Amino acid sequence: MSGAPLATPRHWSAQRERGSLLLMRFTALVARRCGRRLLSPLLHLVVMYFFLTGRTARRSIRDYLARLAAFSERTELRPTPRRVFAQFMAFADCLLDRLDVWRGALQLEQVRLFDPDGIRTQLLASHHGGRGQLLVGTHLGNLDVCRALAELGEQVPLNVLVHTHHVAHLNGLLGEAGEQRMRLIQVSELDAALMLDLAQRLARGEWLAMAGDRVPLHEGRRVTVDFLGHAAPFAQGPWLLAGVLGCPVNLVCCIKREGRYEIRMERFLDAPTWTRGRRDDAISSWAQRYADRLADWCLLAPQQWFNFYPYWSVADA
Amino acid sequence: MNTSTHTALEQEVAQLVIDTLNLEDLQATDIPPQQPLFGDGLGLDSVDALELGLALQKRYDIRIASDDKDARRHFATVASLAAFVASQKAACAN
Repeated sequence: MSGAPLATPRHWSAQRERGSLLLMRFTALVARRCGRRLLSPLLHLVVMYFFLTGRTARRSIRDYLARLAAFSERTELRPTPRRVFAQFMAFADCLLDRLDVWRGALQLEQVRLFDPDGIRTQLLASHHGGRGQLLVGTHLGNLDVCRALAELGEQVPLNVLVHTHHVAHLNGLLGEAGEQRMRLIQVSELDAALMLDLAQRLARGEWLAMAGDRVPLHEGRRVTVDFLGHAAPFAQGPWLLAGVLGCPVNLVCCIKREGRYEIRMERFLDAPTWTRGRRDDAISSWAQRYADRLADWCLLAPQQWFNFYPYWSVADA
Repeated sequence: MNTSTHTALEQEVAQLVIDTLNLEDLQATDIPPQQPLFGDGLGLDSVDALELGLALQKRYDIRIASDDKDARRHFATVASLAAFVASQKAACAN
């Protein structure tokens, strides 16, 4: 079940990491010194620069909008230069909001919580001897707002699994920002030591969070699913972890609607299990179901898709 | 070396392989200590290795280090796994 080759000549982690890291640093610095009012025009200029120079990013957003429009049969979503530009501006807004989160300016009361399965209650319970769970997030909307989750969960430690090599640096930034409950763990290769570490964290009641919509560097850890009507490579990672660790899996998404953030949490798998011979099928079906939910959420907030790189398989272009 | 009889620990490890991976149609004695676990042998793959590694560490309270270059060799057969478990337990006891 090796996924199709990626359309992008450079992997997204190489493409965006440097830029976004610089941007975060800059944002953090200016945020401390100046605040949102001064930063806003500056940041919009920076994002406009990315818009003007980033041909691949522009084309990727156009593809996304075209596919979303065709998939949903909503013609008003069809890409126009204005709508593509609006996507970039929405990203600038997202960065500014991120800044507010970092400063602690975004309060829990300002966030609407949709939690039909009572995930928050379980998060709180794991602080008192419960077992941890998995949270699979997305780059639709503003994942950082989910740091309000740290508050949602009070003292429950949240471990965020990332591909980046800049973990030490980012942990430093988080520390500077006064964040103690959230830790980043670099996951480039799944191995026995990492599994034990993660299993022990779950046993201690810690939660693990990761994004489900970014493909890993490792070609073999991809699975091709249908996303908005076209074949796209998705990560196997979250579903592999789910199967091996056997803990409940929840989806989380945070989008802004009518100027207000909404965190949506829902149960995805109660007790993931697989039989050995049908493991690939299990992973495929979980990844597909995740992609389907992601498509639903994209339609709730079409402009907040922040994967600025070729998302679909090249063979399907 | 080429014996197909199991030591007690090998028997245990073989049973752990079977239980962890739900190889229900097999018995511990069906996995010769020297039979390769991966590839052409028992046909395990990298995800099996993850599950097995996790189960071994939990069961025997040992650690398989991330930077252990020999990990692949330890996981080659039931015999090598048993030897690895024994050495790790000895190391922990000291």
